Amino acid sequence: MMSLFTASLIIFALTLGAVFAYFAIKSRDLVKAAVFSAGQSAAFALAFFMLMAPDIVLAYVAVAIGIYTVVLLYVINKTERFEEAEE
Amino acid sequence: MRIKEVVTGIMAAAFLFVIIVTIIFGSTGWTPSTEIRPLAKFYLENCFNVFNRTWWTASPEAVTSMLWDYRGIDTYYETSVFFLAVISGVALFRIAEIKLGTKKKELGLSIIVKTVTRLIFPLIIIVSISVAFHGNLTPGGGFQAGAIFAVAPLLLIAAFSRHYLEENIKLTKDKCLTLRTIGLTAITLIIALPVLAGALTLMQNQAKPWSPFFSFPEVVGPVWTSGTLFFLNVAEFLAVGAGFTLLFLLLSIPEEEFKRVFGL
Repeated sequence: MMSLFTASLIIFALTLGAVFAYFAIKSRDLVKAAVFSAGQSAAFALAFFMLMAPDIVLAYVAVAIGIYTVVLLYVINKTERFEEAEE
Repeated sequence: MRIKEVVTGIMAAAFLFVIIVTIIFGSTGWTPSTEIRPLAKFYLENCFNVFNRTWWTASPEAVTSMLWDYRGIDTYYETSVFFLAVISGVALFRIAEIKLGTKKKELGLSIIVKTVTRLIFPLIIIVSISVAFHGNLTPGGGFQAGAIFAVAPLLLIAAFSRHYLEENIKLTKDKCLTLRTIGLTAITLIIALPVLAGALTLMQNQAKPWSPFFSFPEVVGPVWTSGTLFFLNVAEFLAVGAGFTLLFLLLSIPEEEFKRVFGL
């Protein structure tokens, strides 16, 4: 069984990721949703690090937080920023 | 509407609770694993076994040894997939010259963002270079370093403009293409070299039982290069970093410019 510290950090990271994912889905402002998605990626990067995969972390941080978010922002820039309200 | 949200919250909390319990009690197979499986054991024991060099790769980093030595051809094909993606991007965005639509000083974000970007830009580049150059000794490697490097020009494009990148940093589309070609040519040469020197397999780094003839020197001067791993990492860094930068330069072409060029 892993140490309580490792376990609690992994659990913290996964919970944070789930909360960010929820807000990313619920948000009507797509720019905010992209930022929440980046936050979820940051939480997952912490989880990967605790699961002893530093090679993955290096690629994941650069791609999922940096490149992916900015590409999403480009795409949002080409369309509308706000989703229409639910009926 | 309110009840729906409350139910969603309770469901999410229950789901999280189940995941937490499974992780703590090891139902997902002890993550991080406390026991090493035979395959992992083989790689960990042999990749830097100084006493018995039959299977070694001269690199203490097991992941890099696998990426560029044991399973080198896989990484080569990944690189070619990326090469094809970038080439098709270049073929789609064939525009000879971009004209400035607005005045230069109006481009970009506020002075706070610009100052912070100026400070961060060299730091990102230094980190990416260190990840590439230490890729055969510590976690990291060519692709990771290239992806980290690509964030720097991306930040510049967002905070300043693509004209700033092209005119002040002098990182134009053609230069990126040249850097990428240099990286890919270096990878190809390093792959072909052992066969020319008498080895039986492509991409041979250190001699293996099935091909015992040719090993690259693991130390060049004061630098521990792990045979070819160091050079392959640096070449991949050039190819991936310049490839991503090229894609961002193409993506950030203003839409009005397309409309002007294609007469829409």
